[in-house]
Amino acid sequence: MLKLYFLLFYEFNKIGLFAVGGGYATIPFLFYIQQKYQWFSVDELTDMIAVSNLTPGPVGINMATYTGFKTAGFTGAVISTLAIVLIPFIMTIILTKLITKFKNNSCVNCIFMGLRPASCALLASIGITLFYEAIVPGEFSGVYSLDIKMFVLFLLLIIPLSFFNKNPLLTIAAGAIGGIAFDMF
Amino acid sequence: MNKSLFEIFKVFFIIGIQLLGGGYVIVPLLKKYIVDERQWMSDEELVDFYAMNQCIPGIIAANIATSAGYRIRKVRGAIAAALGIILPAFFIILLFAVLMTGISEYKIVQDAFKGIRISVIVLIIITVKDLWKKSVNSFFSYVLFFVILTALLLSDISPSLIIIASALLALLYSKLRGPDNA
Repeated sequence: MLKLYFLLFYEFNKIGLFAVGGGYATIPFLFYIQQKYQWFSVDELTDMIAVSNLTPGPVGINMATYTGFKTAGFTGAVISTLAIVLIPFIMTIILTKLITKFKNNSCVNCIFMGLRPASCALLASIGITLFYEAIVPGEFSGVYSLDIKMFVLFLLLIIPLSFFNKNPLLTIAAGAIGGIAFDMF
Repeated sequence: MNKSLFEIFKVFFIIGIQLLGGGYVIVPLLKKYIVDERQWMSDEELVDFYAMNQCIPGIIAANIATSAGYRIRKVRGAIAAALGIILPAFFIILLFAVLMTGISEYKIVQDAFKGIRISVIVLIIITVKDLWKKSVNSFFSYVLFFVILTALLLSDISPSLIIIASALLALLYSKLRGPDNA
């Protein structure tokens, strides 16, 4: 158990250190943890992302708490939540102290010129993988089947978002209704 | 205005309860509670903290709260603010996690979550689109994006490794191009 706590602390410190660009940037790291340790399933992880969007609080914190809880109960939740904020907390304090010097530091800017596209690509790969697993499930003797219902739901959800203001709560609510309704056909 | 640690914690706790969606939602909330109602920091500081925290890894809302708390009462203020932001999220999620295990037996809940998984994919794609607009806008960033994406889809490379490698590549690239174009 102690080893599990240590691993949780270590992995979530890594997320805190390397996830650049807000709560969603932690998603690829959570999938990496899923693959490496199998503390929870891919479906559970996707549900966690939805729940984190539904509940108040920073999405990144929500996901860390939920993942920690699923892995090692209450203690796990405390460890993962503390671990994910620890390193950024220290960095933030140092940089707030130095903010005037930091503002015009081109070296920091150029590093972020590389980090932002990387963060974007990390999230894109998760989006593609999840899309593939949900819409093209099961490989029956090499023949891929398309889950038409889920594909239609996907289009129904994404098309309005291209025209209107996005609201994660609405998208999740619509997905839930869609999931229930499509099961009746 | 009363700047006791408990007061700082309380204000950030109230902000934490109202945070729904992405970390950026915290900016208008800080403007209302910290800048306008309490004058604990200025508009300009808020903008500075916001800009700075986009360049710090981690959860943006927690980072901005840390900056603001530090500005109000140094390290102890930062701890009070960060705890205030984190605790509502922490307890609500725990409650939800316990509830979820109870209700996930029902067929209707399972169906709903099957649809919700599609919603999550949509949310991720929309976020990628937003990030793309802000970050993939030069030859270097295009190449970096597609090389990383291909590598990720074809192998199990660790995200931490990708971040370290991209930071080094960006540093190297801007050194080669000279300081004018960095």
